This record gives sequence, C-alpha cells and structure tokens, in this order.
Amino acid sequence: MNMAEILQYVHKDAFLHRLHPYTKIFFIILVSLMAIITTSIPFLLLMVFAMLMFAAYGELLRESLQQLKLILVMSIIFILITVITMPGGEILGYVIPAGIPFIGGFIPITSGGLMIGVVLTLRFMILIFAFQLFLISTQPRDIVHALEKIRLPIDYILMFIIALRFIPTLQIEGQRIHEAQLARGFNPGSGITGKVRSVAPIVIPLVSNALLRSNVLGLTIDMRGYRTGKRTHVRERVFLSRDYAVMTILTVSGCGFIALFISQMV
Amino acid sequence: MIELTDITYTYPHTVQPALHRVSLSLEKGRCVMVTGPSGAGKTSLCLAASGILYHEYGGKKEGSTVIDGKDVAEYTTLSDLAQNVGVVFDDPEAQMIFTTVEEEILSALEHRGLSAAVIEERLEGIMKTTYLEKLRDRSPHHLSGGQKQRVALAATLALGNDILILDEPTSELDEHATKRIADILSDLKQQGKTILLVEHKYHHFKDIVDTLVILEAGVITTIGLPEQVLENERIRAMVLPDFSTIRKAVPAPSTDGPIISVQDLRYFYGDVEALSGISLTIRRGEFVAIVGENGSGKTTLVKHFNRLLTPTSGDVIINGKNTRDCSIATLAHDVGLVFQNPDHMFFADTVRDEIAYGVHNLGIEKSDEVIDAALREAGLSESGELYPRWLSRGERQRLAIACVVAMQPGVIVLDEPTTGLDGNEARMVIEMLKDLQEKGHTILIITHNREIAQHCADRVILMENGKIVSDTGGA
Repeated sequence: MNMAEILQYVHKDAFLHRLHPYTKIFFIILVSLMAIITTSIPFLLLMVFAMLMFAAYGELLRESLQQLKLILVMSIIFILITVITMPGGEILGYVIPAGIPFIGGFIPITSGGLMIGVVLTLRFMILIFAFQLFLISTQPRDIVHALEKIRLPIDYILMFIIALRFIPTLQIEGQRIHEAQLARGFNPGSGITGKVRSVAPIVIPLVSNALLRSNVLGLTIDMRGYRTGKRTHVRERVFLSRDYAVMTILTVSGCGFIALFISQMV
Repeated sequence: MIELTDITYTYPHTVQPALHRVSLSLEKGRCVMVTGPSGAGKTSLCLAASGILYHEYGGKKEGSTVIDGKDVAEYTTLSDLAQNVGVVFDDPEAQMIFTTVEEEILSALEHRGLSAAVIEERLEGIMKTTYLEKLRDRSPHHLSGGQKQRVALAATLALGNDILILDEPTSELDEHATKRIADILSDLKQQGKTILLVEHKYHHFKDIVDTLVILEAGVITTIGLPEQVLENERIRAMVLPDFSTIRKAVPAPSTDGPIISVQDLRYFYGDVEALSGISLTIRRGEFVAIVGENGSGKTTLVKHFNRLLTPTSGDVIINGKNTRDCSIATLAHDVGLVFQNPDHMFFADTVRDEIAYGVHNLGIEKSDEVIDAALREAGLSESGELYPRWLSRGERQRLAIACVVAMQPGVIVLDEPTTGLDGNEARMVIEMLKDLQEKGHTILIITHNREIAQHCADRVILMENGKIVSDTGGA
C-alpha cells in the first residue's frame, strides 16, 4: 500500500502539521534558493541532514526515507550524464575499464564531472525532501486557502491539488488493469516492438477510464460550488508564535547563508 | 420541484437520441425511482433533471426543464444550479477530491455562505447521519468503494439542497450497507427533501419510493405507483428478478480429485492479515457462491487461484499443481478470472479482437471457431465488429465473461458479475454461467446478491474477516 501514497497528505498532529502553510512555503522557497545557489558539497550535505532532522521532528522521517529509492535512481542518471557530458579536472578512471582491448579506455570519469553530478543529486534531494514535507504535512484544503489568499486563480489551484490527489488513484487502477490482463495471459513481450505493443493493453484502458473519470470530477467540482470563490473560512490557520519562531530561524539562516556566500565560503 | 417536459436529447456525434420525449415531474418531498436496463439513458436523465445537460453538454436538445420554478436557462452557471440541486454521480472515486473524509465534507460546507459555527454543527450532523464518524480522518485510498459512495453522498448532503439526484448510489455496496443508504434516504425524505433515485435494487427502497419509472432505450415506457407498475410481468422480471427458477439439474460434481484445494492459506497485505487460515476444496463442476461483507477477503482469496497473489503461508493447489510452482500465464489455462469492472480490460478496437487477445496469448488452436462460440454464448454474435466501450454495461459484462470463456479455463471465477445490471441482464449473466457449468466448467462467483447465491449456486461460502464462517450445500 505504501506505493500508493506518494506525495499524499499524511494525517497527523505533529510539529510540521501545526505550522501555517505560509511558514512552510517560505521554508521551501528559502531552502530551494540556498540549494540552487551553493555549490559546496559539505554545505549541501549539511542541508540534507537538516532536512532529515526536520522530518524526524515532524514525525515524518519514514515518509522522507521512502523517497531514497527514487533519489538513488536519479543520482545514478545524473552522475552518468555529467560524467559523460561535462568532463573536467583529473581523470579518475574509465566507465569502460582500460584493460579491455579495443573498446576499453573510453568515457573517462573526471573529478569535475563527478563533482557536478554529486552536487546536482544533493540539490534535487533537498528539493524533493522540502516539497514532500510541505505536501504531506499540509491538508489540501489549507493549501487551497493559502494560495487563494495570495490571489492565485482557483482553477489553477484545484488543478494542482487534483493532479496530486489522483497519482495514487492512477497507480492503483494501473495495477488492477495489469492484473486483469495478466489473467488473460498478458505477455509483456520482448524486444523494443514487443515492449511497445505490450503497453497498449494497459495504457488504453487506463487513459479511457481516466478521461471518463475527469468528466465526473469536473461536474463534481462545479456542483459542490468549489469554483464560486466565496468561502466561509472555517478552522482557518492563524499565525502562531511557533510560526514566528520558525520564520525567525529561517530568516536568520537565510542571512547567515548570504554572509557565507559573499565571503565565498559556500 | 423538477419538471421535465418532452426532453429529447442526442449526444454529439451520435444519431440515436439518448432520451426521447421524456416527461417527468418531481414534486416536493417525493421520491421518484428510475430503473431500467444498462444503457437505457438513466445517467442522461440524471444530467437532464439536474440541468447539467443543458449547461455543460453539446448535442441536440429539445423540450423544457424547470428546476425549482425557474427555467434551466435562467440559471447562469453550474455553480448557480448547485445552489438548488445536489447530485451524487456514479463514480465514487471521482467524487473524493480532498484527502480526508472530514475535509471533503467541510470543503463542500464552506461554500454555502454559512457562519463557521453553523458549519461545524452541520458537519457533525452529517457525519452522524451518514455513519462516517469513525472514518473521519481516513484518506480515499483507505476507503472501500462503498465507503467512498457514502462520502460522496455526505458531501452532497452538506450542500443542504432540497433536491437530491442520486445516480446508482449503492452499486458497490453489500446488502447491509445498501440498507444503511436506504435508511438515510428515508430520513431525508421525512425532512422534506425531493429525491430522484436511479437504482436497480428496488426491494431495498420500496418503502420510500412514491413513483417508479421504467426507462428503456431512452423512452419512459411505464410510470406510476410502484404496485401498479409491478403488476406487469415483464417489468416485474426486470425490477424484482426471480432467480428461483434458474436452477438446472446438473450432473453431480465429479468424484475425482479436487480442482481447487486450499490448505491453511494466510495472506498479509503489509502488516494487515487479509486471510487467516483458509482451507477449502472445490470439485470439478461445482457452482460456488462466495458471499460476505465488503472487506471480508473474498477478492483476496480468489486472486490466489491464478497466482495474482502468492500465499504468505499455506498452499493453493490447482488441478494438482501448487501455484507456487506455476506462473500466472500457465495458470491462465486452468483458471479464468473476470474482474468486477469490465472496463479494466477492454483495449481492442472491436469486440472480436478483444476476445481474440486472450485466445492468442494462450496459443489456442482454431481460434476463429472458439471466438465465434464465445460470442454466441454471450449473446453478442451481432456485435462482433463494434467498439467494446460502446456496449451497454450488461453487454460489457457478458463480453468480459466471453473473453475469459474463450480461453477455455476449467475454472471460471467472477467477482460481482451482476453489479450495475438490471434484473433481466443479471439473469442473462447467471444463465450464461449455468450453461457453462453444464458444459463441465467449475464456476465461482463473488456476490452481494443473496437471491443469486441462494438460488443459483450449489454451495454458498460465507466469509468474515478473512475466515470462512460457513460453507453450506456442498457435496
């Protein structure tokens, strides 16, 4: 079942859940900027550590760690790409070992390429952790309220919420379709044409059903009045002392970061 | 409250009108139930009565719709209509937009111009009337189809409108949960709500229905007091099907070894024990019904028969082979599984190709003859060249069965094969299964329909919380 919960709100009453959405949005923006600006690997590592501490404090460490598999796959791709396309610095070895005759000694692994790959991976890791912490600790209702207040059009907000909400639905449905076709002797096929052909029995039902569903979904949104724009604010999140405290800490770390950046330490 | 006069409607790109000269009047505080075969236009009628058809759909429209004293054209938008009409659509998944039950209902309440205090009060009231208090913080992925249907109803009730239009609100519910919905509707009616209900399960709602409407091929063929409408034999068979005449004399199940043998089967989804020690033998030629409430482990059990699931402990032996040693593809020769929603399998361009898919996958010889025979058995010989998704729900269900039958498995397992079908269509499906049993197939059905289980199956297995609690009628 865990697969089904990617980026889904997790109902808890913990520290991050109790923060105001704006505090969390400020957190994302600040963290993203810091991660994008810096190229210092020790600093990025420190940030990753800080993210995990945040997650642990908010009782969401397990959810964060579930992302590691995705991050691992991504890091391999990043490092491969940067090693191949951005060589620089000294040669540490070769992707195809030099010992192999004829084809050996190609594609050098350089310290520069490797460094960039690692930096990219760490950056994305931080971004993923930050966004995930925001999404799983904030009820979509609160996200709608917060974004509506800063005058984003309601249609765009709903689109964003729905896109997230239906990730697991599509996943579960894909699983069901897969099972139904397996029961009919579905054979994933071999070779490229085989693979492409074997996609149809899964993708066609998935897309057809999703289109039908989007029709009902659209009507539901209208018939529940979500798009009227007028709203009574119930259980509205208010800025509490903990929000001010977190904002202050974030601002101070932001300033600290700028100072470090100017003195070229990060 | 709603007055439809001479509504004729044709969807874009089609020729045949979905509704033809439909006139219907819904008075305040009354409950009108619409029933009829699948594909008769019941959903279109819901859309017409709610004004959605007028505002949201293209195509050719004739006739007039008056909602709450105002012509439908006077409402400017759907949000405007939503002030008067509440609609529960037939797909519960699409009607849960937020991530907890409470949030869903609260969001609907927030748009009614009420004060915060009233909203909190109403929220609690609705939670209570729809029995959702215990599910308050659940996410959509941790709710059954039936529970989602209840949430969809609750969120619509939250709007507080006097007119309620419900499109098959109990299709995925077991008997007990359906009764719950019937009780809720009965309360609502007493509060003076006007209800338009599209349903197949008349017997659950007979106490609240004032007018019964039979819709066939887009035309209202009969309308009136339920007792009078049901005097007609043909309509009675559709609305209150009698399955007691369906039993056929079938040769006793063979005495050689069991075709399915389950030994102390346990299965865990993560930490949750879904099956706790199931032991079961089924002989060739038996017709077995598996019954039990939503979530009792019925589907989990049958998924073991073709190894979509592998036991956490215990064994499942099919035709003498332990499923642990077989692949899903090999087991497909022995066990055919027809899932609840036929739309999860269709992808081909024609009905024929759809059936051919499984046949070719298994490398069955004389495929054309096999496909023809399957089409005949399903009563779809005329429809071989049609696009599967254009068929009515009843036809799609029979096509799904035909797809599996053509693969010639000894055992055919069907998960809720009569969902969303009217009495006649359900009967056709069951008769098809009885014929297959006569030809020597072993049939297992999962069903909520007590009548079908009692009258059609030779053996009824009742499951509760992952265990078999009774097993009656077996040889």
